[in-house]
Amino acid sequence: MSDALKSLGFALALCLVCGVMLTAAATRLKPLQNENMRIDRNKNILKAAGLIDEQESYAAARIDELFAARIVRMRVDGAGRIMDTETPADDSVRDVLPVYLVIGEEREILSYIIPINTRGLWGRIHGYLAVDTDGVTITGFTVYQHAETPGLGGEIEKKWFQDNFVGKKLVDHHGNFVSVGVAKGRVEDVVSEDRRPNYVDGISGATLTGRYLAAGMAEILSAYEPMSVNFRQNNIRCRMETIPSWCDDETATN
Amino acid sequence: MKLQRTKAFQTLARPIWGDNPINIQMLGICSALAVTVQLNTAVVMALSMTFVISFSNLIVSLLRKIIPRNIRIIVELSIISSLVILTDEFLKAYYYDISKQLSVFVGLIITNCIVLGRAESFALSNPPHLALMDGVGNGMGYGAVLVAVAFFRELLGFGTLFGFQIIPDGFYAAGYKDAGFMLLAPAAFILIGLFVWLQKYLSGKS
Repeated sequence: MSDALKSLGFALALCLVCGVMLTAAATRLKPLQNENMRIDRNKNILKAAGLIDEQESYAAARIDELFAARIVRMRVDGAGRIMDTETPADDSVRDVLPVYLVIGEEREILSYIIPINTRGLWGRIHGYLAVDTDGVTITGFTVYQHAETPGLGGEIEKKWFQDNFVGKKLVDHHGNFVSVGVAKGRVEDVVSEDRRPNYVDGISGATLTGRYLAAGMAEILSAYEPMSVNFRQNNIRCRMETIPSWCDDETATN
Repeated sequence: MKLQRTKAFQTLARPIWGDNPINIQMLGICSALAVTVQLNTAVVMALSMTFVISFSNLIVSLLRKIIPRNIRIIVELSIISSLVILTDEFLKAYYYDISKQLSVFVGLIITNCIVLGRAESFALSNPPHLALMDGVGNGMGYGAVLVAVAFFRELLGFGTLFGFQIIPDGFYAAGYKDAGFMLLAPAAFILIGLFVWLQKYLSGKS
């Protein structure tokens, strides 16, 4: 009996010591970790935009500078109108979604970036998808956070898989929205020729990850479809003028 | 007494060469395959592992007389996992990119049989200074193999070391190609196999 009590006491003391130590460490390091995550997110947005080279390393300040100069965070409403983030949502605006615009030297829009947050096999997959101003062609894709199996589903964070998306189309050859699917194998081998622009090569051993990613993307992209349609019909440029911060040079870079 | 003859030195040196955890005892092979594509990750993994195994050995050895025998494994695991979580949090705060590349493998140090093995078979029955030496030795023995494997994999697979290009551009122009095979897990198996052979040959064991 006293042995059992002694074990229990020891276990309790150990839990207490370990618990306090880990809590202290986690609390102290949290601000640094959050800052790292913020920079990593911005870096991935820049990567999806094709503004940085994955092979090179960038200082945090350089990332912030590039981000401030080339990326504008906006919101998009259910009708596909792009709004300044500061505009309060009125009653007519139901779903407001975040979108990042990639801007060039002349303040023209080069592409738009949609945040991807979807279910994966073991946890959420977070990433960014960049689409050209034609509203159809994907220009970049990155994943910055996931919990997929390393070596299998974890390949979604690899360059080969992400580069796979570049040049793929959101619409089929009739112009209808179809999103992008993940093929079970190589696109050339398993997908008929007219549908190849809508599929990327799959990862062997990670069928479920691919399925969840494709389903999640379809859902997210369909929510953004009104905006993509506006881009396709070339409506955005004139609509941009209605955005206060866009016309005001002072705040446009913020 | 000469330094080489002291028990502490022998405890430190034995796992680095004669009783190497990977090459001789065949432990911890899993992570040796996973994190050795680049030298950066291999070095960080080796340091993390050395930190965890040294301190888990030290703490277990300090507590060895009061740890109740019936719950000793769970106590050892709690100590090891606390150290591993500390390491992981530290990497996330200061070496975020490397921590992302290592992903789950830092967390998996908890299940690395070398750590629990040394705590159970050495630290529980030896005084703290020897246990610490044993931990450092095993960490370095493990790390040395990791770094050696990563050296060949990165050099042959990417043509770089620590990310710096080593193979001159002229070689590529002349038709040299990086061995993509080196980036796959089986390449690490083959390299470790060659190391085992080399070490057995050098130390004269059959």
